[in-house]
Amino acid sequence: MSEGLKQALDLSLFWEYRLVLLQGLLFNVLVFLCAAALALCVGLGAALLRVNRRFPARCLGTLHVELFRNAPDYIMLDWVHFVLPLIIGMVIRRRVEFHPFASAVIALGCVYSGYFAETFRAGIEAIPRGNIDAGRAFGMPERTILRRITLPQVVRRMLPEALNQFVSLFKATTIVSLIAVPDLMYNVSMVTQQEMRPLPLYTGAALAYFLIIFVFASGVRAFTERWRRKIGA
Amino acid sequence: MSAVPSIRVADIHKRFGNLKVLRGLSFDVQRGSVVSVIGASGSGKSTLLRCVNYLEAPDAGEVYLEGTPLGSRLDADGRRKPRSLAEINKMRCELGVVFQQFNLWPHMTVLGNVIEAPIRVRKMPRKEAIGVAEECLRRVQLADKADEYPARLSGGQQQRAAIARALAMRPKAMLFDEPTSSLDPELTDEVLAVMRRLAADGTTMIVVTHEMSFARDVSDRVIFLHDGLIEEEGPPADVFGAPGSERLGRFLSKYRR
Repeated sequence: MSEGLKQALDLSLFWEYRLVLLQGLLFNVLVFLCAAALALCVGLGAALLRVNRRFPARCLGTLHVELFRNAPDYIMLDWVHFVLPLIIGMVIRRRVEFHPFASAVIALGCVYSGYFAETFRAGIEAIPRGNIDAGRAFGMPERTILRRITLPQVVRRMLPEALNQFVSLFKATTIVSLIAVPDLMYNVSMVTQQEMRPLPLYTGAALAYFLIIFVFASGVRAFTERWRRKIGA
Repeated sequence: MSAVPSIRVADIHKRFGNLKVLRGLSFDVQRGSVVSVIGASGSGKSTLLRCVNYLEAPDAGEVYLEGTPLGSRLDADGRRKPRSLAEINKMRCELGVVFQQFNLWPHMTVLGNVIEAPIRVRKMPRKEAIGVAEECLRRVQLADKADEYPARLSGGQQQRAAIARALAMRPKAMLFDEPTSSLDPELTDEVLAVMRRLAADGTTMIVVTHEMSFARDVSDRVIFLHDGLIEEEGPPADVFGAPGSERLGRFLSKYRR
């Protein structure tokens, strides 16, 4: 085995710096959770616009989806962090700077809201019309129908696809190091510079990501399968 | 003199684009009576039923529920004003609807389906709603399935659950839209049996149906629709015994074969 490969598979350095790296991982999780919450809320809003009766509302929803779904996350990240503050600053005539964490959440949240909007929309459109007719026939207001009849079914239907999107979003959090959010990859590069031995840390980081995503995704799948089966979704 | 009818349908018109589905229909449903609506597919039966509770708003005409116009009200100057959705919703609670496709909510248990509208719409306390639901489920002989999800029930059981769901709102009248048309023949009887019992208990009912024996045995009046108009109506003995129009005769003969 070459010296380089031996070094790459040696995890002792990763273990030595585990606290720093764990701290970084915590940031990944934090960015993920905030961006996911943002993406879900904005995505649901955009989906509701896309199924709206009114044409302008539908256009707005489509614009949102196409804009964000087709923007690479890395470019969005840079744009939100470096360009958006300039635009806002020009409008309010004051110097604006975004905290890297905020930029990361906004950028990833927006990009993924485009994906989630489509998942929500497909879910909403798959609900049989008769389900909603039944709600209307019993005098339920639109809001109650959405909250009690449509959304609970949409959530069950979209879970498998949403899970894939959560996984990509979590993986996408690794790019936030590029705007100096102190996440796992950022700390990896810091330690690398200090130790001048990059390879072992990358293996460790890869393993850490794999483990987290694998455990999370299998957990969610196992947990929700029975719940989804009940309704025959 | 006769009492105010439970439901009065007055000169209802409805068109979808260029297609005139209902072309001026009027009839009364007296309290405690059963009216069956028969006719070929495309004659406007289902649209008529959907207009009665404003799932489709009629283009012209009005539906009166115990004398109160459903879709409009008179303002202070005596002018007719369309009602808001909130007002229409209030009237809709008084009409229990049973659909051809059952339309149970699949993510709720049978009990959950039955208590949903009483809790959310009638603002009934949960405990009371469960009491009402259990009584309604007993009436359709489904008390033992309260905790099942609809996907685990047969079609006949699902439709009976849907009937219980409608009864739980304690409606003034029940509307049935081809309640047995998507059931296997061996499952229609259990649903018809429940409907016969409701009729015997004095429930006011409008039933759109292809079950001629049900229409003949159970209803007080039968309405034969053709092309968006009432072609013939009367007591079942007359409609089935001596059809006045050739078209009704032809229609009925298809069911005798």
